[in-house]
Amino acid sequence: MILETFKLSKSYGTIQAADDVSLEVEKGTAFGLLGPNGSGKTTTLGIIMSVLKPERGSFKWFGKEPEPSVYKRIGSLVEVPNFFNYLSLRRNLEIVARIRGTGDSDIKRVLDLTGLRNRSSSRYDTLSLGMKQRLALASIIMGNPEVLVLDEPANSLDPEGIAEVRKIIMEQKEQGKTIIMASHILDEVEKVCSHVAILKKGKTLASGRVNELLVTDDILVIDSGNNELLKKGLLEKGLVKKAELRDNILEVIPSSGVSSGIINAYAAEKDINVNQLYIKKSTLEEQFLELVKE
Amino acid sequence: MKRMIGLEWAKISSYGFFRVILILTLSLFLLTVFVFSRIDISLPGFTWRNLFRFPDIWPSFAWVASWFNLLLAILVITIAGNEFTGRTLRQQIMTGLSREEWLAGKGILIIGLALFGVVMVSIAGFVFGFIYTRELSLGTIFSNMDILLVYMVQAIGYMVLGMLFITVLRSNTLAIILYLLYFIMIEPIIRGLCPVEVRPWFPVKIISHLTPFPEVLKVTSGEALDNSNMTFENIGLMPRQLEDSTTTIMALVYILVFAILTYLAVKKKDL
Repeated sequence: MILETFKLSKSYGTIQAADDVSLEVEKGTAFGLLGPNGSGKTTTLGIIMSVLKPERGSFKWFGKEPEPSVYKRIGSLVEVPNFFNYLSLRRNLEIVARIRGTGDSDIKRVLDLTGLRNRSSSRYDTLSLGMKQRLALASIIMGNPEVLVLDEPANSLDPEGIAEVRKIIMEQKEQGKTIIMASHILDEVEKVCSHVAILKKGKTLASGRVNELLVTDDILVIDSGNNELLKKGLLEKGLVKKAELRDNILEVIPSSGVSSGIINAYAAEKDINVNQLYIKKSTLEEQFLELVKE
Repeated sequence: MKRMIGLEWAKISSYGFFRVILILTLSLFLLTVFVFSRIDISLPGFTWRNLFRFPDIWPSFAWVASWFNLLLAILVITIAGNEFTGRTLRQQIMTGLSREEWLAGKGILIIGLALFGVVMVSIAGFVFGFIYTRELSLGTIFSNMDILLVYMVQAIGYMVLGMLFITVLRSNTLAIILYLLYFIMIEPIIRGLCPVEVRPWFPVKIISHLTPFPEVLKVTSGEALDNSNMTFENIGLMPRQLEDSTTTIMALVYILVFAILTYLAVKKKDL
């Protein structure tokens, strides 16, 4: 296990930022922390990166109590990139190299990887937001860390910047690195992460594999000659968990083990003509909105 | 140690304010001692230039240099404060630096700045001393030079107190204003409200008194007068102070207390 958290809790005044957050992140997985603003994602990441003190709970990195040296094995970008404004990119990376004890040889590699080589002598405060984000990524992959902790890595970036950042993250993922990523951009989490925990008001609402969460809530969309009758029959027969009529179209969530073929056969048995039947894959966004709605 | 020095140097060497304050401290100190050295006060029996002769030059120059300790403290507050407000400290901790290592880095910075002050006073002292001293001997040159170590302790004291202010307040402006107010107003007012025997024991009083105002009367009168008891304290111009050794020990105790409080402020609080 790369990371385990045990009931992490922290509040700011009356606001409970993290409330008994327990997570398990396995080696080589891409773990997403998903939640609306103020759900406790950044607080949770701040605690596991030892910059915030939890009021209760504990956590372990690599199966051990956290100590400063463990963070040399982790590259992290929490909130916005924070570098020395008056220093050049290279000098900022030298500081990272000195802290990690990697020497300066890795600087060239990460500058090339992030496309910043030509700007290496520019002052940090002259960079665009996208470049600052790329520098942050360059700094976190220095020394080849085993884990990347990213908080809203595509925040404030234009589509091109988002694509670049995602490419770098995916490359790191393909190299077998463990990725822990907080985001409110659902598409980002869906594309990058294999596992996800959904937070709301500091609490963990759901946690699991992304594909399991998606499969659970596949929606079958049916347009038949008698949607009302079909809805009633499917519910009575227990073939669906949930059935709803929306704009005269029937949307059902099939019960466990019930396929679209079984539902089609049932309609035929009842002499109901099915004009259209297709699976609408529930997106993580729908799942997310369903979970976090009041 | 070498890694921490390299890390701290990487952070400050290109920092404009760092260079400005060092140049300002050096320039103001040299200008002050130069101007004082050009003043020629001729009173029968008194020789102003004795203040610029070995061995009395060391306490004189240490006292003048102590005026600029506040600049060095403001520099430390600014450098450390920038790391709080710019959140670079937070980033460094996440990169793998421990809070203790960060504090060690600031300790190295403080000692480095104090050494800068000592070197500045030493070089200026030798130059002016050789110019103005008529009868040179190793004894007179190096006598009283131990005040430079005391000056170093004093400079460290000013800067460690500055570190305490910035780690607690986390705002450059607030820390600098309150730091200066504490020196200029807050502690003097509190001292004034306390019984006379307690007054010399306050931290700023103790640390400031490490390099006391030179005994101008005694030094400048040379051998013209029987001046063995001619100190400001004895003739009632200054209040009674603690013994030098007591002052130094108390200053070291205060520095230790400030350092521990600074450590706790960094260790226990969120970044």
